[in-house]
Amino acid sequence: MTAEADTAHARTRTYKPAMPAGWWLRKRHYFLYMVREFTALPLALWLLWLLFEIYRAGRGASHFYAPSSTPFVIFSVICLLFALYHSFTFLRLAGVILHFKVMDKPVPSALIVASQFGAWLVASIVIGAVLIGFGR
Amino acid sequence: MADKRITIRATRFDPDKDTAPRLQSYDIPFPDESMVVLDALNYIKSHVDGSLSYRWSCRMGICGSCGMTVNGTPKLTCSAFLRDYWPGAVTVTPLNNFPIIRDLVVDMEDFMQKLKSIKPWIIRRQELPLGAGEHRQTMDQIADFRQFSQCINCMLCYAACPVYGLDNEFLGPAAIALARRYNLDSRDQGTKIRLPVIAHSDGVWECSFVGECSVVCPKGVDPAKAIQQTKLDTSVRFILPYGNRE
Repeated sequence: MTAEADTAHARTRTYKPAMPAGWWLRKRHYFLYMVREFTALPLALWLLWLLFEIYRAGRGASHFYAPSSTPFVIFSVICLLFALYHSFTFLRLAGVILHFKVMDKPVPSALIVASQFGAWLVASIVIGAVLIGFGR
Repeated sequence: MADKRITIRATRFDPDKDTAPRLQSYDIPFPDESMVVLDALNYIKSHVDGSLSYRWSCRMGICGSCGMTVNGTPKLTCSAFLRDYWPGAVTVTPLNNFPIIRDLVVDMEDFMQKLKSIKPWIIRRQELPLGAGEHRQTMDQIADFRQFSQCINCMLCYAACPVYGLDNEFLGPAAIALARRYNLDSRDQGTKIRLPVIAHSDGVWECSFVGECSVVCPKGVDPAKAIQQTKLDTSVRFILPYGNRE
């Protein structure tokens, strides 16, 4: 910036509007973004609880009891819904983020997204089978 | 319907008199379905209130000058049809996240500095003489960056970006999309020179992927995509030693 332009710029009094605290309520897109980001919180809480359960189980069978109270089941179902939403939004965005070429042609985003969901499904089946298998 | 009318509410701010912007209503004729918001502003300036200030130039969605917030959404006013809002009122405010100079005119200085900081031109390690001929490209090579070259610097993406609104240090969507445009260009050799700016904490890593920048872009550029792909590329360059070589 030249000295002249600098002086002219300094002379101009501008008004800088502050970002309102409720900016994320202004648009549906912003709101869904906040929901997407928020879903990480119950997920983290549930994982912290899981770590605590592992710690208790590590102290011996006498310290462990399977949590089956109604509030805990409700909390887990809510966490599951948040986890599913978080996974869904994350995998859907993979088509935007990942970019690579096969035989000099870019792989279509839809195919990348489909492959991510496919991998998610396979991983879920494998983990589910392992957990059920160990549970028996 | 010769009597059809529409209410335009426009931001007024005189830096010499006002402490804060205010809205002023104008009830104007709406005789033609093809009228856009910019036509309404021009009518007000020509027939109602000559002191209303705003930027505009081409009237055809090319120059990117007439970006304003129309009923809460950043838009090119030359492409926002009044018929989409009538019979409701149309509220025209300056682009969000920028300082207001006067009425609907915002200070573009920060944006211009950011644009310049990513060196939006083709950088060569060694310039060849003109006689050496053109830098030829295949259609596939052009397709790699073409989308990101459509930006008209209208700043709608900055107005839609809450990250930029909360932290003006963020390099922002258009500048990063333009950096990607040149980094993907087979003729360019300046990626390493741009990296300190785009891979900085105020660069791509400031973005939390709201994605509204891509929604409001009038030219179909996808700045959110450019930012996320740049994150991936810079990460790969950081992890893989050979990635740092050009």
